[in-house]
Amino acid sequence: MIQFSKVNKWYGEYHALADISEEVGKGEVVVVCGPSGSGKSTLIRTVNRLEEIQKGQIKLEGVDVHHKKLDLNKFRTKVGFVFQQFNLFPHMSAIDNVCLAPVKVGGKSKAQAREKGMALLDRVGLAHKAASYPQQLSGGQQQRVAIARALAMDPPVMLFDEPTSALDPEMVGEVLNVMKSLARDGMTMMCVTHEMNFAREVSNRVWFMDHGRLVETGKPDEFFRNPQSDRAKRFLSDLRSH
Amino acid sequence: MWEIFSEHLPSLLIGQYPNGPLGGLALTLILSVLGLGLAFPLSIALALCRTSPYAVFRIPSTVIVYMVRGIPLVMLVFWSYFLVPGLIGGTVSAFTTLVVTLVVYQAAYMSEIVRAGIEALPRGQAEAARSLGLGYGRTMKEIILPQALYNMLPSLISQFISTVKETSIGYVISVHELTYSASQVNSALLTRPLEVFATLSLIYFVVCYSLTQCAQIVDKRINRRRTGAAVSTEGNSHDPVLQGQ
Repeated sequence: MIQFSKVNKWYGEYHALADISEEVGKGEVVVVCGPSGSGKSTLIRTVNRLEEIQKGQIKLEGVDVHHKKLDLNKFRTKVGFVFQQFNLFPHMSAIDNVCLAPVKVGGKSKAQAREKGMALLDRVGLAHKAASYPQQLSGGQQQRVAIARALAMDPPVMLFDEPTSALDPEMVGEVLNVMKSLARDGMTMMCVTHEMNFAREVSNRVWFMDHGRLVETGKPDEFFRNPQSDRAKRFLSDLRSH
Repeated sequence: MWEIFSEHLPSLLIGQYPNGPLGGLALTLILSVLGLGLAFPLSIALALCRTSPYAVFRIPSTVIVYMVRGIPLVMLVFWSYFLVPGLIGGTVSAFTTLVVTLVVYQAAYMSEIVRAGIEALPRGQAEAARSLGLGYGRTMKEIILPQALYNMLPSLISQFISTVKETSIGYVISVHELTYSASQVNSALLTRPLEVFATLSLIYFVVCYSLTQCAQIVDKRINRRRTGAAVSTEGNSHDPVLQGQ
């Protein structure tokens, strides 16, 4: 589904991504973890080309993501992206946030988009908040609307960039529940997250990154029980001591 | 002073209209609205060029903005007075000259307000829109400009106030706006300059002060909308995710 081959990215001298080669299979849920500054957010942002790469190739359903002639706007409708800071549009109600892409990009009528949008808001448990504006919603609710918005174009892949890191602890669960239900429905997902319980329960594989490198990948059970690299061992023991 | 007020007030407010050309405060306001109204779309275009990643747009627009901001308004009046007829190859009325001047001048200043408004928005707004598949144009039109312009409303009203005052430069090229009308009244009366110009100042002050108050009300409303609207928790009992789905 998503193939990374020898992906490299530099910010000036800084080598942000170094020779990343891996693959996310169809229906697979991959959790990308690692210390801050390890390049995990950068990696996930290269998949919908919010970040450019300098060397290597990323293919999504066979499409070369960083090809110069790619119709980027059309391509991006196939990848849902959920941000740490939600980034809902504050001048639009929840339902309008969800309907924006189907109407403006997908060419759907307002009525069609609204019907679908309400179904999506219902799926994240917020149909009753359709008319609310983002500032009237809690952080957890905003992030769930953001997930509904990302789902609006029926993307086959969803990317999550630390979706619960900006939330108060009591709101983390509601967002993870929505993500779990997506995973159960067979969505292909790449999630950058520090929620190790989510990784353990939901993910098929964990990718561990450090200093722009993919240090180790493995099934969550094995990774958490018996990490291979010293760096991952240290990372996990640091996590547990908190 | 009261006789001046009652006798000459009509000419200060509307000039010789309806027996002659419209002038006075009415013309001042028309000039301001025209100046700002035409400058507005131009300032958005300039601001988009200024924030563009492409140097072809960025550099010329930056040069224009800095040049216009770097010369006094009266110089700009002279420039358009001599340059515009040369460019279009015909005579141009003083009114048009003044409008062109105001538009160029205000577009340069306002474009900086618009640019600041665009740059003040979190980067995530544009990223979220682009991630949904909206192109640059749609992102600007649907997401960035509506928010930036809304936040800029108070600054735009202040800019309108400046424009009202700046139209008085029309005096030097004999546009019959408020200041010109007042100086004509003064010439007719000859001996009462203090009263005439006190009246003139008062009229400017009343207009600008009301607009300032208006800007403050708008500013307060915007702030209330931004900070208020506390998180409402009512209705969460319908929330199946909170109930454990």
